[in-house]
Amino acid sequence: MEATRQIYWNIGHGIVLPMYILAFAAIGVMVWGFWQRVPVWRQGKALDRFSRYNERIKRMLLEVFGQTKISRVTDGGLYHSIFFWSFLVLFAGTLLVMIQADLLTPLFQFNLLSGQFYKVFSLLLDVAGILSIIMLAGLFIRRFVIKPKGLEIVRDDYIVLQLLCAILVTGFLIEGVRMAATELQQNPALAIFSPGGLLVGQLFTSVPTATLLTVHTILWWSHFALVLGFFCAIPYTKLRHIFTTSANAFLAPFEPKGSIATINMEDETIEQFGAVTIQDLTWKDIFDADACTSCKRCQDRCPAYATDKPLSPMNIVKQIGELAVGNPAGNLIETVSQDALWSCTTCRACQEICPANIEHVNKIIEMRRNLTLMEGAFPGDEVRTAVSNIEVNGNPFGLAYAARGDWAEGLQLSLMEQDAEVDILYFVGCYASFDKRNQAIARNFIKICTAAGVKVGILGKEEKCCGEPVRKLGNEYLYQMTAAENIELMKAYNVKKIVTTCPHCFNTLARDYKDLGLDVPVEHYSTYINTLMDTNRLKLTPEPFSFTYHDSCYIGRYMDIIGQPRNILMQAGGSITEMDKNGYDSFCCGAGGGRIIAEEKLGSKISEARIKMAVDTGTPLLISNCPFCLTMFEDGIKTGGAEGELQVRDLAEIVAERIAA
Amino acid sequence: MKLLVCVKQVPDLESRFKPDAAGVWYNETDLAFRMNEYDEYAVEQAVQLREKLGEGTELTVLSIGPDRVVETIKKALAMGCDNAVHVQDVAASGKDSWQIASIIAAYAKDKCFDVIFTGMQSQDRGSAQVGVTIAEQLGFACTTTIVGFDYDNGTITAKRELEGGIKGVVKLKIPALVTCQLGLNIPRYPTLPNIMKAKRKEIVVIPVADMLKEEALVATGSFHPPAKKGGGIVLEGDVADLVEKVLAILKDKTAVLR
Repeated sequence: MEATRQIYWNIGHGIVLPMYILAFAAIGVMVWGFWQRVPVWRQGKALDRFSRYNERIKRMLLEVFGQTKISRVTDGGLYHSIFFWSFLVLFAGTLLVMIQADLLTPLFQFNLLSGQFYKVFSLLLDVAGILSIIMLAGLFIRRFVIKPKGLEIVRDDYIVLQLLCAILVTGFLIEGVRMAATELQQNPALAIFSPGGLLVGQLFTSVPTATLLTVHTILWWSHFALVLGFFCAIPYTKLRHIFTTSANAFLAPFEPKGSIATINMEDETIEQFGAVTIQDLTWKDIFDADACTSCKRCQDRCPAYATDKPLSPMNIVKQIGELAVGNPAGNLIETVSQDALWSCTTCRACQEICPANIEHVNKIIEMRRNLTLMEGAFPGDEVRTAVSNIEVNGNPFGLAYAARGDWAEGLQLSLMEQDAEVDILYFVGCYASFDKRNQAIARNFIKICTAAGVKVGILGKEEKCCGEPVRKLGNEYLYQMTAAENIELMKAYNVKKIVTTCPHCFNTLARDYKDLGLDVPVEHYSTYINTLMDTNRLKLTPEPFSFTYHDSCYIGRYMDIIGQPRNILMQAGGSITEMDKNGYDSFCCGAGGGRIIAEEKLGSKISEARIKMAVDTGTPLLISNCPFCLTMFEDGIKTGGAEGELQVRDLAEIVAERIAA
Repeated sequence: MKLLVCVKQVPDLESRFKPDAAGVWYNETDLAFRMNEYDEYAVEQAVQLREKLGEGTELTVLSIGPDRVVETIKKALAMGCDNAVHVQDVAASGKDSWQIASIIAAYAKDKCFDVIFTGMQSQDRGSAQVGVTIAEQLGFACTTTIVGFDYDNGTITAKRELEGGIKGVVKLKIPALVTCQLGLNIPRYPTLPNIMKAKRKEIVVIPVADMLKEEALVATGSFHPPAKKGGGIVLEGDVADLVEKVLAILKDKTAVLR
């Protein structure tokens, strides 16, 4: 007997027309639902996210069908991915049945679903169905029994899980009843290729055929109704993420990570800066709210949230969505709260992990821009003072600008105003210039360069704050003012290459200054020293030490520099014990986003939380490569009571101590 | 109503001061300049009054000095002043308080200002005389070092800071002049639209010669850092040793243990 099955068994081909009409109606409802959403998204400002669509499509296909982003976190993610692939197989299988029944059979009298192919097809679909149910059960237990901290339970969760479950269960019931009436009696050998159906079918073997036929009809229509319901529910429940989250993989930006829109200060027609209503955001910012599935991965990784500050990146995205629908004229900043906005360290942990490509950080910066540029607001009076110090003296400490180069006294380097013919310009930054502890890093870096025969120049008192902290606090005007002076200076000296020891200066000069006209290669000393060592210009005498390494947000997550600093430290004789949160998953020191010039008044100290993680590795030494991190950690060790247990040192200090004689 | 606020641009006090060639004032090389702190309170208070009175009130900012003071004037405009006057004087730092006050009084004489705001004193010369001298020359009522300000129907109610933490309240009929002290208010940070607007506002430039008819009454004799009178000592080491060291120093160099 041939291996196949009769499609529309017991239902008859007569239902084809009404079935298609209903199916298209359901799809119509779905499209209508999304269509109604379009004006909500369009409230936002224009933004081009459709260029380079070939690459966009490629990225979307990879992320959606590869489940690459969701599967990075096993908890929840693994269930989701397996469910997705299984459900995809079921969907494809259903499409194939449709093609067979309504295209191949009537037009070509060709039966694809027969023989060996049918056996594989049947087995595959049954296995996919069983896997789907198991995964749903897993997701159900996770959400309703285990209840991970921060995972909300909303109406949609009940609807979605139950609907999907009902579709799968009715599917197996239909199959089982059909098999009980047919296969199990006529061709039991074939039944083993439908293990799910076989299992169910055996329960019905004693039921009279006539009853089976009735039950089958009822089940078939129920299943069909549920599927229709599924389509209709997509735009109105979290199921919308099937399309919106996928779309976000298409819409994600191509700009380098950390790019912020540079406001055109010459444009005198602009009267509104930053975002105070959702209309001030871009359409993508509003769309992001629809792409969010509240998986709370962002919130789990937010250093502000982890230390009891009133910020949850997930909540901000949600609040934007709620305003866009419910109160489009509402005050976004009041809704989100200033405290939440100022709490962000722009560490990017949220954005890095988001499976939906939501751009959290720039939303926060846009709102901060409004607070700063339109209201003249600050997170605290200490920030007001620091900002005024930057305006007057070009550094947040308010120290005499003329003393900026004093740390370099007695070192082998050149002041650019005296001799601009140098191999590299070392952009020192405010902390290494003025802060006692960090001046040691600057001096050690020069020592390293001298040993490698690199001629270094500095701008000395001509250098100003790169503008990063104020830019991240929203003060685009002051950022552009100080940046313009630095850029003009560096252009005048015809600088060929810039190296920084500060990741914040590095990001700003390498990426943000491009928008303002500086196009010079910029490197962070972690990669620069690594290259000096690779090319044998710098030789070290390794001395053993054990350490843990802290990935600065602006080096790791923002600039993908993960391996090089570790490589340097290994070659210097180090043996590393990683903290749980490392690399792309590193935990901020608390100083990013301009927080370095702000007091941490809310919640507990982020730096202490990170110090605890370092202490937990059992190593006596924490190495960082960022002046902000170093400052925060020295503080966190003192206030967190880790003195004597842990010491924090900079990469440059470790290297400089081991320069081969 | 017409309001005037007088501002001075001063070097940031963190700067490194060196005497100039004549040894009577500081050399301007390597100095960072900013608005005199007390003048910021004056501007803020003037702007607040301007906002309170609304349409029909005009607030003018005035500063005397070389071209660099335009930056300070622009800041005051960005904070909310309507008009600006720059009395151009490359030698302003050499003038005494009497001359500076006379310049401002000469300018204000026929302008019918109702209220004039100045800082309590400048951070560099610190004479605290300019405000009161202007008031004297113009015949205005005057009060100094105010930490509270209210205006209602031609009367200013000002809270003054007196010695020993005591506060006093005075009422003045306009026209009046007040000099502003720390604690009066928190100067606003100019918003970007206001900074942009300030850039487009005209600054009236008046050569100092047109305003100044007075000779100096005070001459600066010398400008020099104070002589060093010993430095601090930082003790480091074990606590037990530190106690011994401190005790020795107290016995040796002070009278507290005798």
